[in-house]
Amino acid sequence: MTTEHPVNRRWSMRQRDWAVVFWMSFLAASAGAFVLFGLVNPLDVVNVWADEFSIGVRLAYGLTFAFLYLICLLASSLTMFMIRTGPSSGHVKGEGGHSIPDIQDPSQSNPDLDGENWK
Amino acid sequence: MSQQQDAGDSLYRKDPKVYPRDVKGTFASLRKFAVVALLGLYYVLPWINWSGHQSVLFDLPARKFYIFGTTFWPQDFIYLTLMLIIAGLSLFFVTAVAGRLWCGYACPQTVWTEVFLWIERLVEGDRGKRIKLDASAWNSNKILRKTSKQILWISFALWTGFTFVGFFTPVRDLSHSIFTLQLGSWEAFWLLFYSFATYGNAGILREQVCKYMCPYARFQSAMFDKDTLVIAYDENRGEPRGGRSKSVVPTDKGLGDCISCTLCVQVCPTGIDIREGLQIECIACAACIDVCDQVMDKMGYEKGLISYTTEHKLGAKESHVFRPRTFVYAFLLLSLTVGVFWSINHRVLLRADLLRDRNALYRELPDNRIENVYTLKLINMDFKPHQYRIEILNNNDMVLLISPEPDLEPEEVGNFILRIQAPASAGRGSVKLDVRFSTMEEPIIERSVSTRFLMPFD
Ligand code: SF4
Ligand code: SF4
Repeated sequence: MTTEHPVNRRWSMRQRDWAVVFWMSFLAASAGAFVLFGLVNPLDVVNVWADEFSIGVRLAYGLTFAFLYLICLLASSLTMFMIRTGPSSGHVKGEGGHSIPDIQDPSQSNPDLDGENWK
Repeated sequence: MSQQQDAGDSLYRKDPKVYPRDVKGTFASLRKFAVVALLGLYYVLPWINWSGHQSVLFDLPARKFYIFGTTFWPQDFIYLTLMLIIAGLSLFFVTAVAGRLWCGYACPQTVWTEVFLWIERLVEGDRGKRIKLDASAWNSNKILRKTSKQILWISFALWTGFTFVGFFTPVRDLSHSIFTLQLGSWEAFWLLFYSFATYGNAGILREQVCKYMCPYARFQSAMFDKDTLVIAYDENRGEPRGGRSKSVVPTDKGLGDCISCTLCVQVCPTGIDIREGLQIECIACAACIDVCDQVMDKMGYEKGLISYTTEHKLGAKESHVFRPRTFVYAFLLLSLTVGVFWSINHRVLLRADLLRDRNALYRELPDNRIENVYTLKLINMDFKPHQYRIEILNNNDMVLLISPEPDLEPEEVGNFILRIQAPASAGRGSVKLDVRFSTMEEPIIERSVSTRFLMPFD
């Protein structure tokens, strides 16, 4: 029996899932932004854009990070969704799913069916 | 590792390998037809030419897509996006009406798996033989069959990968470069990559892709309602199930129509038992319908114990094909399709980019005239050569000089220097200019572009 302590009940499963999604995506996007800006000088890119959209360097950094973050969020939330909603037939307790179906020789209890002729 | 985690892992058991039994029948033929038609298109299309180009070619280096005689330029990206949306909407529509029709007959995963299964069946025999072969010890027969299967699988996968790359590199050049052993490294990479993906997905992973990896399978419940076609077992009619001989009258023994032959389970490519109810794993391939109908025939019972039906019908309620949801999908789909095709047919096959030379504001000419220099990029998106005419619409005093002559071959991109000269009295500061590009031959090809003309400010 769990005691009703506020700490036990702080986050629901779903909240925890989302927290993980947001935080991991943030870390991944940060790493991505570091590597990307290590290789590409945003100033070079900004000059080309600047004429058309007048984007400053800081905004370019920000937008790139936002873009990366969004892609990471998309990937990890989809992953969470796929894992959380999968068929549970692979679970020994068969929770919500079905056990492995029994298979028998069709003619075993049905004399009119002759096994291998079933094409 | 903590004990708890061990216990957590051990709660999962591996699903057993599925050995789908071969099935014949109406829906199996339909699927065979779909497989032949779709894969036929896939393997043959790159070899067919259309208006002088490969019928479908995504020429990435040149950034041009050729699709059945229409060329899409980077500027036409919007059309490709819209076509993707159309494809998505079609999927919604079909799903709302007919359920997972896509999964059972048209999904590449299904279609290629089917071919890999054919090969497997050809070499190793049907279900019973395959199970026995897998269980037997390695002997010459097993080695021979397994190697033959692998050779056929790998060859087929390589051909698939080759064709895939053939959609991005002209396929004739590609086959030439393979036979002369001059395949580029990127082409080789993608060829092997796609072959590997085909082999892995259709040969090894199979139903696991549908069960664990496919997002469509999870999202489809949002498109389903109680009038959507699903494949279901008629529980009221079938239960209680049990074996019997043909001569027995089921009701005498208190039996339903299901004779517990488990053939519906044996043919199922995802290894589930449809009699347990609607399941997310069911890809609606209708193999179980085909086989159960044959069993019913053999027993002299009415067909349709497993059938295409709807939840409403199962609950003995009326079922409607036309309902708000399908209307909305159909309406969106129709209007978008018509719109896109209309606009593709009416698109102007000329693209003009006019950029003022950024290095100089303006130049004063000796005869008291002001000159601005522009770089002009013209793209002739047509299949015919064109001569272009350039005019300034909102200013008659200006003179326009262009070099070289704006004549372009079919699909040519031309860069020109455009000089515009105006008398110094024409204005002060920045003047807006509307420049029109048109052809002598076809009035429909016409495009106007606005730009700025700089004059002294004082
Ligand atoms: S194939 Fe038909 S009769 Fe045989 S077990 Fe399945 S539902 Fe019952
Ligand atoms: S339950 Fe029937 S329709 Fe569904 S995947 Fe299995 S065989 Fe195909």
